[in-house]
Parts: sequence; structure tokens; C-alpha cells
Amino acid sequence: MPNASRKFLLGLAVLFVAGGAIGWFYDQLLLGLLIAALLALLWQIRHLLAFVNALATGDFGYFRDGEGIWQQIFAQFNHERDRASRHKARHRRLLKEVRQSTDAMPDGAVILDMNNDIIMCNKAAKAIAGLKPKKDRGQRVDNILRDPKLAKLLQANDFKREVEIPSPVDEDGWLNCRVVPYGAEQKLLVLRDVTERIKLSRMRRDFVANASHELRSPLTVIAGYLDSLAEDPELAEEWGHPISQMQTQARRMNRILAELLELSRIESSGPAAQDELVDVVAQLSAARKAYQQPGVSAQIVLDVRSTAQLRGNAGEIESVITNLVSNAVRHTPVDGQVTLSWTADDAGGTLTVSDTGEGIAAQHIPRLTERFFRVDRGRARHDGGVGLGLAIVKHVLGRHDATLDIKSKPGEGSVFICQFPAQRVTPEEPMPMASERAAT
Amino acid sequence: MQPSDISGHISKRFSKDLEDLRSMVLSMGGLVETQLSRAISAIVSGDSELGLKVAHDDYKVNNLEVSIDEECNRILATRSPAARDLRLIVAIIKTITDLERIGDEAEKIGFLASNLAAMDRPSDSYRELKNLGDHVSRMLRDAMNAFARLDVSEAGTVVLEDEQVDSEYDAIARQCITFMMEDPRSIKRVMNVTWAARSLERIGDHAKNICEYVIYMVQGRDIRHTGPDEWQAAND
Repeated sequence: MPNASRKFLLGLAVLFVAGGAIGWFYDQLLLGLLIAALLALLWQIRHLLAFVNALATGDFGYFRDGEGIWQQIFAQFNHERDRASRHKARHRRLLKEVRQSTDAMPDGAVILDMNNDIIMCNKAAKAIAGLKPKKDRGQRVDNILRDPKLAKLLQANDFKREVEIPSPVDEDGWLNCRVVPYGAEQKLLVLRDVTERIKLSRMRRDFVANASHELRSPLTVIAGYLDSLAEDPELAEEWGHPISQMQTQARRMNRILAELLELSRIESSGPAAQDELVDVVAQLSAARKAYQQPGVSAQIVLDVRSTAQLRGNAGEIESVITNLVSNAVRHTPVDGQVTLSWTADDAGGTLTVSDTGEGIAAQHIPRLTERFFRVDRGRARHDGGVGLGLAIVKHVLGRHDATLDIKSKPGEGSVFICQFPAQRVTPEEPMPMASERAAT
Repeated sequence: MQPSDISGHISKRFSKDLEDLRSMVLSMGGLVETQLSRAISAIVSGDSELGLKVAHDDYKVNNLEVSIDEECNRILATRSPAARDLRLIVAIIKTITDLERIGDEAEKIGFLASNLAAMDRPSDSYRELKNLGDHVSRMLRDAMNAFARLDVSEAGTVVLEDEQVDSEYDAIARQCITFMMEDPRSIKRVMNVTWAARSLERIGDHAKNICEYVIYMVQGRDIRHTGPDEWQAAND
């Protein structure tokens, strides 16, 4: 028992004993005890009122000193109160710092609950997306940022994908949106202003397209004169070889420009239409016919397990196939084999071009689809490749919602896998047709 | 009336139905906004493929209109809403009609864009159409924002803004007439431009209508066919 409590009880006992003794002395024991009890009660009431008064005015001078039970209560109370207010101040400071740092972030951040209701958003979200931090609390975020692409992203709860939507505050602006999981039952929507990046990439695309276009006309003139020079019967003998070299190079440049133009066209158009049907099997066998040269190139084998057709652009799919096949043939020795296969199931269609050629080292694989990327920097393009084939393949597949997977080991050959999603593939026709087709 | 008022019903299910319905309207609005901005950029950049895509995608807007309409009917029949819930449903039924019309105008602009892409292009690449179009899409966006936030003052600004759009349209029409008089060979092209401008101007009117429904929904006051002065006087 604490000291103060013991003292308090002792005091009470002394008071009652004294009251009882005085009462007994006058032969009024009960009255004496009653007066003692009344005195104790009065003393308590006085302290109680003083305490309430002190709470109301905040002036605790009355309780400051002494060691009575009320002083003890006050000291304990005061201690707790000080601690709580210190905590509160610290939390307030912390909260302010957090808010300041989120407001200082250049990216918009919006905290959402599982229904996509806005819980909180920072200043940048207000500036770049027009959200109103106070007014929009509790509102669904897709009520304010209404772009269908963002709504789809929010509903899918897809934490890997990002979408780009036109900015709601700036006519030519673009926002990059990403959703990340955040705390329990919450999501964080991160908005980033990518106007500059989009502008830059558009400028780059336009530049490449314009430059290729501008280079084409002078090249046509040069090639035209070279052609007429080559056919000139009065041309001196020693000029024959240089001119045919120049013709070859001019044709090559022409092809590079054509592919650059094609690439920038593919890049600037959206997803490919779905209403055109592409007969992959026919295109594969056409590619085999075009590249199969017995004795000169590797053997090309067809492995067709499906007659399903693709929904997409026939010309572009053809360029995917020819690019992959010509690459494979170029990098495979004559005694090697190139396999073209096409399979389809419920998950989608798979177009595979595999070869038994020289293969590609693992560190080069991620960069293969870059424009003009060369595995061997020292090697000139003797083999006739332009350096844009795989870039075209990648972009065409992107336009068809498909992915390109490259697997390769040096010395063992490479496999190029194009995976098309189910909505791009028509249901299959009966199998017998397929075997007949494959046989021809 | 605050957006949170909609979810203040004793029946949580009813609140959720209304909130979902509102979100559906706003997502339809988002789709229409996208259609409009694509149609405008198809005209400005001469992208015939994009224009045709806009025209083709109009069916999505129509489908949404039908399903929202059905949902409204269902709520009217099963919940018999009263007072501000009733006003909400009535406003939504009217709003989606206007949104659908805006979708139709965007479809038309998409077609016109693909027509225009095949013709000569003026050196300013239809700057005046771009300005009018940006103005109108801003109005539509503000109208949908006012709908989402139940913001009467924002709705009021859009209503007043419609006059500017009308005068911009007049200016374009006059300019087009001048072009046609100067060079009769350009009549076919300039007619297309006039039609596109006309569609944009109509979209402005529809955005204004939507704002009037917002004011009706929030305040229960019908400000249609009243002058701007009366509206402002009532609002002060």
C-alpha cells in the first residue's frame, strides 16, 4: 500500500478515535462519531471541489505541494496529462512532416480503399489531376478521373500494369497511372506527369519518319543514275565493280529506310483491328517456300498442330514470320534445321521459330529487339540483315496484344516464341484438314 | 447536398445501388469524353483510321445508355424513391440521353475526320476547330465533374460558358462562308468543317443541359429556358 494511502487511513482512524473519545467523554459516543464522519466528509468535499475547479481553470497551485492523497492523485494526473500532450505534439509534428513530404512529392499520390473511394490525396494530385483533397474525400476516384483505361486498371486491381491517360487539367498533357498495394485493405494510386516524355517520344518518332522520308528522294535519284550507268555499254571496264557495289549499297539503304518508315508507322498506330483473319498456316508454308534453298540454306520444317486463324493484320503478321524465318536461316549452318510451328489452345496461339544455329549469349537477349543492335559489334552486316527486323517483330506483336519470348544458348540454337492471347485466335477447325495442309 | 448524402439511407443496399448507378453514369461520361477527344485529335492530325475507330466505337456508348436506363427503371420500380433520390434518378435518365447524343456527335465528327483526311489540308491544320473542340471538351469535363461533386457553382459556370461556344461557332461559320466564296472548289471540304463545328457546338449545348440537370438534382430548381441573369439572381 502506498505511503499516502496509509497516511490517509491513519488520519481517518485518528479522527474517528478522537471524535469517539470526545463523544464518550460527554456520554454521546454516536454523536461524536457522526461529527467526526461529517468533518471527514467536509474535508473530502472541499478537496473534490477544489480539484474540479483546478481542472476547469487549469490552476493547480492548490495541489502543488504536500503529500496528502489528493496531492498524490494530482501529481499522477498531471504527469499523465503532460505525457499525453507531449505525445500529441510529437504525433502532430510527425503528421505534419509526413504531409509536407507527400505534398512535396512531384508525383500525385491518392490513397484509396478497396471500393476505390478516395481517402486522402496530396497536393500534386490536385495540381496534375484536378482532384480536390477536401471535397473529393469519400468520392470514388474513377468518378473524377473518368478515363475508361484507368477505370479498367482500378477494377482489375492489377498492380503490375501502368496506363497513360490524357490529363484532365491540361489539353495536351498525359498522366501515367499505377496502382500499388498500400497498407491493409488500401491501395495507392500514383499519378505521374509524363507530358514531356510523350512529347519527346513523339518527336523522336516524327523525326525518324521525316528523316527517312527526306532521305528517300535523293536516294532514288542516286539509284536511278547508278542503274543507267550500269547499263551504259560505253562504261569503262574498271568502273563495273564499283558501280555494282554502289547499287547494292543504295538498295540496302533503300531497304533500311523502308523498314524505318514501316517501323514508325507501326509504332504510331494503335492496336491492330480484329476483323481481318490471318491464315498463319498458309503464311508459314509460303515463308518456307521462299527461304528453302536445298544445299544453300538449312532445312526448314513445318510443324503445324492447329488450323486456328489469327485476328489481325495479314501484312504485318507476314512481316513477323519472314523476319523471324530469314533471321533463323541466316544464322543456321546448311546442315542445321529450322522449325516453324503453330499451336493453339484455350489460352491462345503460339507461333514458334526455332533453329539449331549459333545461338545468342544470354546478356544480349534483352537488347535484341533494339533498333540496329548488333551482337557482334565488329562484324559488318555481310549477311544482308538491316538490323530492324526484330524491332518490327516486337512492335507488330505489341499491336496484336502478343508477346515475344526469346530463348537461346550459344552453340545450341535459338527459339523465338510469339504468344498470342485467346481473343486474337479463332476457334480451331477439325484436325484432319490440318494434317492435309501440313503435308502439302 | 453532398456526394456523401447519397449513401445515407437506412437500407445500405439502396445506397449502394444509387452510388453504383452514379458511377455508371460517370464512366459513361468518361467514355464519351474519350470519344470526343479522339474525334478532335483525328480531325486535327488528319488521322482517318482514328476517326473511323471513333465512329465504330459509338456502340459502346449506346450499350451503356441502355443498361443505365434499365437500372434506373429497376430502381424506380422496386424502391419507389422520393425527394432527392427521385431527383437523382430523373436527372440521370436525362443526363444519359444527352451523353448519348454527345456520343453520336462524336461519331459524326469521326466520320467527318476520315473524310477530311482524304482532302487537302489547310496550313493551320484546323486550328479553329481544335480551339472550339478543346473548349467544348473542357465544358463536358467540367459538367461531369460538377455531376460527380454535385457542385452547383461549377455547373453554373459551364451553363454561362455555352454562350462563348456559340459565338466561336458563329465565327467559324462566317470564316467558312468566306472560304467558300473565295474558292468554290473548296466548298466540299469547307462544308465538312462546318458540320464538324456544328457538331461541336451541339456538344456544348448538351454539356450545358447536363449542368442544368445537376442544378435540378442538387437544388430542385429548374433553370431551363431561363436567362443567365435570372439564374444568377436566384443563386445570389
